[in-house]
Amino acid sequence: MEQTRPIVAVVDDDPRLLESLEELLESAGYAACCLRSAEHLLARGLSDLDLLITDIGMPGMNGFELRDIVNKARPELPVFLVTGRHEIADQGRARGISGFFRKPFDAPALLIAIGEALQKSRNGG
Amino acid sequence: MTSAWSYRPQLLHLGLFFAAYVLGCGFAQALAIVPGTGISIWPPSGLFIATLILAPKQSWPWWVLVGCLGELFGNALWFHSPLPAAVLIYAGNALEAMVGAWLVNRTLGRPVRLETLREVLVFVVLGAGAAPVVSATVGSATLAWFGIFSQTFLGAWPLWWIGDATGVLIVAPLALVVIQNWKRKAELSAARWIEACAVGLILLGVAALSLGGYLPFAYIIMPPLLWAAVRFEFKGAAVTLALLALITAIFTISGASQFAGNAENQRHNQIMLQLFLAISAFSALVVAAISRQHQLALLTLSQSVEALRDRERELSQIVNMVPVHIRRLTPEGEPTFFNKRLVDFFGFDLQQLNRPGTSQLAANIETLVHPDDAPSLLQAVRHAVATGEPYSMKYRMRRADGVYRWVDGRAEPLRDEGGKILQWYAISIDIDDEVRAQEALRDRERELSQLVDALPVHIWSWTPAGKLAYVNKRSLEDLGLSKANFEDTVRVAQKLVHPEDAPEVLRASANCLKTGDAFMMRYRRRWKDGNYRWIEARAQPLRDQDGAIVHWYQVSIDIDDQVQAEEALKSSKRQLEQMIDAMPFNILSFTASGKMTYTSKRYLEDVGSPTADIKDFDALARDVAHPDDFPTMFQRASDGFATGQPFVNRFRRRNKQGVYRWIEARAQPLRDADGTIVQWYIASIDIEDEMRAQAALRERERFLWQLVETLPAMIDCAAPNGEPVYRSQQLREFLGYELEELDGKPKSRLNGTLDAGVHPDDVAGVKEQYAHCLTTGEPYLRKHRLRRFDGEYIWVETRAAPMRKDDGTIVQWNVICLDIDGEVRMQEELRLAQERLARASQAASLAELSASIAHEVNQPLAAIVANSHACYRWLSAEPVNVARAKITTERVIRDANSAAEVVGRIRALFKQSVENRTSLSLSGVIAEACNLVAGEALRRRIRIDSDVEGRLPPIAIDRIQIQQVLVNVMRNGMEAMEAVAGEKSLTVRAHCVGSEVQTEIGDRGNGIEFPDQIFEPFFTTKENGMGMGLAICRSIVEAHGGRLWAEKNEPHGARFIFTLPIVGKAAP
Repeated sequence: MEQTRPIVAVVDDDPRLLESLEELLESAGYAACCLRSAEHLLARGLSDLDLLITDIGMPGMNGFELRDIVNKARPELPVFLVTGRHEIADQGRARGISGFFRKPFDAPALLIAIGEALQKSRNGG
Repeated sequence: MTSAWSYRPQLLHLGLFFAAYVLGCGFAQALAIVPGTGISIWPPSGLFIATLILAPKQSWPWWVLVGCLGELFGNALWFHSPLPAAVLIYAGNALEAMVGAWLVNRTLGRPVRLETLREVLVFVVLGAGAAPVVSATVGSATLAWFGIFSQTFLGAWPLWWIGDATGVLIVAPLALVVIQNWKRKAELSAARWIEACAVGLILLGVAALSLGGYLPFAYIIMPPLLWAAVRFEFKGAAVTLALLALITAIFTISGASQFAGNAENQRHNQIMLQLFLAISAFSALVVAAISRQHQLALLTLSQSVEALRDRERELSQIVNMVPVHIRRLTPEGEPTFFNKRLVDFFGFDLQQLNRPGTSQLAANIETLVHPDDAPSLLQAVRHAVATGEPYSMKYRMRRADGVYRWVDGRAEPLRDEGGKILQWYAISIDIDDEVRAQEALRDRERELSQLVDALPVHIWSWTPAGKLAYVNKRSLEDLGLSKANFEDTVRVAQKLVHPEDAPEVLRASANCLKTGDAFMMRYRRRWKDGNYRWIEARAQPLRDQDGAIVHWYQVSIDIDDQVQAEEALKSSKRQLEQMIDAMPFNILSFTASGKMTYTSKRYLEDVGSPTADIKDFDALARDVAHPDDFPTMFQRASDGFATGQPFVNRFRRRNKQGVYRWIEARAQPLRDADGTIVQWYIASIDIEDEMRAQAALRERERFLWQLVETLPAMIDCAAPNGEPVYRSQQLREFLGYELEELDGKPKSRLNGTLDAGVHPDDVAGVKEQYAHCLTTGEPYLRKHRLRRFDGEYIWVETRAAPMRKDDGTIVQWNVICLDIDGEVRMQEELRLAQERLARASQAASLAELSASIAHEVNQPLAAIVANSHACYRWLSAEPVNVARAKITTERVIRDANSAAEVVGRIRALFKQSVENRTSLSLSGVIAEACNLVAGEALRRRIRIDSDVEGRLPPIAIDRIQIQQVLVNVMRNGMEAMEAVAGEKSLTVRAHCVGSEVQTEIGDRGNGIEFPDQIFEPFFTTKENGMGMGLAICRSIVEAHGGRLWAEKNEPHGARFIFTLPIVGKAAP
């Protein structure tokens, strides 16, 4: 009996990063759901997700805006923000937020954080 | 004497009187049994008195004269007295007659009938007793004086007196009977005649026997005499006395009588005779008179009895006839009599109700009176009986048919002189109809009263004197008054009237009271809540048949709401008028026939009042409309009035100042419920300004068209579907043909133009975009080549924009073609320059660039990290997922290469390629750099002052890199002035300094805090900077053999200076 795999959504406008994260997540036993933009994600729906990883700098809706919308719709859903622009990470609004990762990120640390977040939300739920 | 003459009695009567008088004298002579005395019974005295008693006093001289003649004649025949003595004697006789007649008449009054005892006694005493005294005295004196028969006065007087008295007693009644009954028929029945004859015979017999001496005394004659007097009364007495006198005379004369005798007894006998006759006469007369009186009394009694009987019958009839029930009650109240009407009413005799041992009164009342009324009636009757007071009450009695009818019953006691009640008389009158009528009347009155009270009006009535007689309930309620308040009516009426209205109301009401005219006024009356309400009061007099005023009736209707509504209407009308006046319209109204009914104030102010002769629309239009506009406007108005359709006219109207101004007049009919036109309303508005504006607009349009035609631009107008409808002269000349020449060809105007005119390389794009714009309505903008008339293709910029109506529909496309051939070619060169600049621009902001580079590098790095970790996991998995690991490894290689490319590109950017260096003047490079930052400078409101030496020697430089340096330093300067408030300017200078060209860029910012450190890598004062810009710049400049440093600018700010060696001068 295969246990239902947690679904982790990844939003990034860079297909290479999407591919790589899909690979990483699947290798870690998660079901990855990769999307090119925030709009795509919202169109797909949030109901079955267990965790969201999103890039910040994207054409159209950026990661912060997406996070705010998701928080409103599903406050308990853990959201990880990822950015390649370190100046953004230095900005005030990003500081002190957990689940914030800079590219290139430490893959094991990311997986650990995902695992913890899922554990927490499962316990919380 | 004429009066005496006119009273002369008939000659026959005088003659008879003369004859009787002479006969009487003869009779006296015959009876003068005492010879020598000449005195005897004197019948003429009775005749004389009787005659004078009956004759009118005025005729007495005649009788006296005739009597004188008769006596003198008798004297001549028998007495033979000397004439003076005879005249004197007669005078005494006449005097006696007159005195006697006068006394009798005076005492008894005329006519003397001697029918009562009193009359007889008076006659005997005065006529037969007193009057002869005169004659006896005069006669005796005369005899004594003249010594006739040697008589003494005293000796003659008694004879004389008794003679005259006897004459009067015997003859006068006879004479009276004869004279008074002369012409009357005898009314005696046969039995009476026989009786009369029998009495006469007996009298004659007895007289003959007594006077003949056969019977002892004369007075035996009395019974028959009295019988006659009793039975035949006065007439019988008179006749029998006359007969007695005759018989006595006859026997005395013959001497057979007791009264005849010897001479010495003669005197005595004479007196006896006369006494006998006198007593007989007296007795007979008295008895006759008593008998007569008795007869009369009997007659009167029988007549009275008869009359009483008639009266009783009448009364009885009346009692039964009158429509009144009558009964009689005993003093104790028990009924004893009922009249016929009452019996008929009850239908049976009330005696039937009589039951022994019970009161008939109570039984009657219980049976016949309405149970509701019976006790009170019984009590009333008993009370009346007990106290003797009359009673009166109304109650119901049962009629024979069982119906109870109202009666008015009363009873009065009949009392005797002592006040004791003998009887009660009770009556009852049927007043049922009356009572019912009264009830009906009361009902009606109550109804009316209720009606009056129910009506929402005040009804008052006034006496003709102006006193308030009646006030209906509603008035009292509304006005909050009790009836007592109306005592002083005028004052109350005044108090209720509003003080402003009171004087007029009082004046009008007083006038109406005086004249009797109807009163009608509207005024305010005070209600109980203290508010005044408007009423309409009307008063009318009610007159009787003679026209006199009986009452005034006043009706006051509350019309307050009506008045308020009228006020509101007036106010609203006033407001409306004010509104009309306030609006910048002129309002007129006309009747359906065109007669003017209203002009607004504004109209009068603007146009002025129409003259008196202008009363309708036609006249007004003729007066004020401009002669040029009149026919049209009048025609339109006439049509409108005729058809009833609203119409609008625009025409010039003359105003007050005599100036014609354009107006627009709109006419609208007002119709009533039937659709008939009641009024026409015409509202006009001054459109002079509008008309002027329109004219100006037209002028402007013409001007614009001229402008369009003369503009150095090619203009084209197209229908909404894109088909050209107009081309300006410029365009036509450019194309070299007229628009119309395209018509009649297989292609449309548009396609014809495009295919023939647009460059073959551009035509597809133009068509596609134009079609798109036509479909969507978006503005069109495209640059393309257009074939000129000479066959050369010229670059044009075509712009098209839709012209829309208010609702958004496209009316027309306006197209402008601008010849941009020169520009395009210039831009082409510029584009090439900019392409070169682009790279420089990319590098220009090294700070941003470095961030981009980091991102570019981080992306593949992140992918690599993820993939490689994934690969590790696939390989670490049980079982090992080689296929996936392989894929991930491939991706790692790919991403790593990608990262290497990025790094390569960055290296290329900063490669100090000597091969790219060209020898050129720095002034052009500076100009290009200024151009590059011009947009930013403009945005930051910074002026760039360029001071570049004109003839700078050429130097060998990498153009892009030096531009990068310039742009970077200039941007730094501009950013340094970000916070500066005052004038911002950037100074760029370039000049030759020895073998170098020195370039300075100065700003007016806050200056440099760390002049030594700023050129070190990763030093930055900017928020987002990486601190690479100036380091790179210095390295570029130094790579070109120059130097870059910073100085303080004067008066403030910073100045960056770099030098570049002049070609040929620098060391290789």
